[in-house]
Amino acid sequence: MREVITAPLPGLDLRRHYGHFQSPAIRAGGLIFCSGMIPVDPHTGERLHGTLTSEAHVIFGNLKLLLEAAGSSLDRLVQVHALIYDSIEYDVLNRVYRQYVANGPPARTVWSAQIEAGFKVQLDVIAAA
Amino acid sequence: MSLLRAVIAPPLPGPGAKRAFNGQASAAVRGGAFVFVSGLTSVDPATGEAIRGTTARETQRVLENLKLILEAAGSSLARVVKVNVLVHSMLEAPNMNEIYARFFPEPPPARTVCGARLPHGAKVMIECTALAPDDQP
Repeated sequence: MREVITAPLPGLDLRRHYGHFQSPAIRAGGLIFCSGMIPVDPHTGERLHGTLTSEAHVIFGNLKLLLEAAGSSLDRLVQVHALIYDSIEYDVLNRVYRQYVANGPPARTVWSAQIEAGFKVQLDVIAAA
Repeated sequence: MSLLRAVIAPPLPGPGAKRAFNGQASAAVRGGAFVFVSGLTSVDPATGEAIRGTTARETQRVLENLKLILEAAGSSLARVVKVNVLVHSMLEAPNMNEIYARFFPEPPPARTVCGARLPHGAKVMIECTALAPDDQP
């Protein structure tokens, strides 16, 4: 069984706003696979560029909405890929990260990569359904 | 209880030959309910020779090879749950996206796209996770 998780708010539908050929998330085999999360306004889809800290807060807010719409939550994250624009910001990411992922944190890999639209951070996660 | 783990033999020698030459990776491995496919770059499926071209051409070749590998595993593009696409420049993401959209049936899988430096001058690399066939109890 493969089930699409639709965007709980219109701004989180990146296909609609930006033409990305992807579903917001897919539930399959007891897991939820989320598409790469970027800092957009969850109501309007407007890109919210800022510091890595501000972008990460927006992303975690959106991720919480998406996971909860899928019947999961930030407490049920299994694996996180955190892409950042420059590894010099690793500690900055961690300061935000630990506010949202407190206890029994998920497996995680952080690396630097080029992120769409010049964003500073993108989260790519798998959660337990 | 131990879950099934099985290496999926590529249907044509290309992807496998390239991997054997390059390093220790199977093209795809079945694990439990899922098939995990290695990051694929554009190669001739018959010979394993790299095929370099535009981002669009490379995307086309990679997805054709991905389809073959998934079908060899008893899965398919329609059973893909998550795709990670690495492109050599995010400026090329729209060129990749246009071809990509022709391959996956509705509704598309979840996906993450990022820009990265790829081996041997490849412009696109695609890895994915798909649901395995429902043949296990």
